[in-house]
Amino acid sequence: MRVERRITLDADRDTVWKVLGDPDTYPALLPHLQRWEPITEGPPRVGSRYTVLWTIGSIPVGGVVEVVEFDTARDLAWINITGVTQRGRFRLRDAGPGRTIVTFRLAYHSDGGLLGLIADRIAAHQVGRSLSESLKNLQRLVEP
Amino acid sequence: MTAVADILEWARQQVNARVPKADLDQRDPDYIRDQLPGVWMLASLYFRADVRGLDRIPAHGPVLLVGNHSGGNVPPDTFVFTLAFCSYFGVERPFYQLVHNLVAVYPMLGWLRKFGTVAASPDNARLALESGAAVLVYPGGDYEVCRPSWQRHVVDLGGRKGFVRLAREAAVPIVPVASVGGQETALFLGRGQWLARVLMLDKALRLKSVPISLALPWGVNISDWLGHIPLPAKIVIEVQEPIEVTDDDQAVYDEVVASLQAGVDRLAAERRFPVIG
Repeated sequence: MRVERRITLDADRDTVWKVLGDPDTYPALLPHLQRWEPITEGPPRVGSRYTVLWTIGSIPVGGVVEVVEFDTARDLAWINITGVTQRGRFRLRDAGPGRTIVTFRLAYHSDGGLLGLIADRIAAHQVGRSLSESLKNLQRLVEP
Repeated sequence: MTAVADILEWARQQVNARVPKADLDQRDPDYIRDQLPGVWMLASLYFRADVRGLDRIPAHGPVLLVGNHSGGNVPPDTFVFTLAFCSYFGVERPFYQLVHNLVAVYPMLGWLRKFGTVAASPDNARLALESGAAVLVYPGGDYEVCRPSWQRHVVDLGGRKGFVRLAREAAVPIVPVASVGGQETALFLGRGQWLARVLMLDKALRLKSVPISLALPWGVNISDWLGHIPLPAKIVIEVQEPIEVTDDDQAVYDEVVASLQAGVDRLAAERRFPVIG
């Protein structure tokens, strides 16, 4: 399943990146986050790892994620290396002077054949809602 | 009477011979990973499972999780907690659940061993803890799990303190795990301890109870050996703060029971209706 939400913000890319490029701000940004712990030390970069757990309904979903793309003020992408197979991305693009389009994408796949497929479908609605809430939180953090 | 005793002794030997030693390698993380999303979804929809406080469990190393047990021979608390633990810490963290010998040898439940289920015995528990795993134990076992439904919010471990010695010898903390809802999956009428004594099952099979209940699909259900279809009761589980193990068995036991009972009372107070939650 791939779920995507986007928002246009009244803030430039550098301002938005100050939040998105610092994963320590994610507990304030991402709703339904149950666990967020850095595993690696130092500033975020390709290879940084975090233990992340979201709740989808009553189900905790997550595992260890690794940052696989860290392109300043453009893209930040990660994959899950344990837990449900998942790939996520924040994508920042210009939307005119002082404005930024932020796309939040999450692609995930549960094992377990038909039941996993059904679980993915059922979760899609709430995942979409979580992505939207995250972008609204981002808006509150970056817009004057 | 001698013939009955001989038959029971034969039955005991047959069961004991089939109790597998704790082969920890039977746990299969890939199998759990495959099953987890779908089974969690079913548990979430059917039991509206709600598990809290998993962050109180030490993030690494061996730990003895001690729970109050409910639900007859189909205890949803073990099932739900196992799924939650594996989701929270990942299937990579070794986790074993101790169950009654009869469950461990039940032919149709072989798949449970892939989830880390092993027969309850001090040796098996020690082996699992020494391997660095988290171990879930229900000291009340078949005694507690068969209590009448009107005592559903009473924690009764039956005075069994073996888990305290186990934790001390393995030098691991005890983390109490309180749960409610399991005893609402059927109407349990009594433990039937008198029946267990009359049938001499207490001596032959270590069964202290032959519970009597009203359960699907049987109606009147004596013994629950064939299981039952649980009612979709809301299962809520709360992990409590870890307890340090001292040399005083009784004090540690009392502290664990008090912690469990406080957790159960808290969760029970949130419940408006039986089954619905």
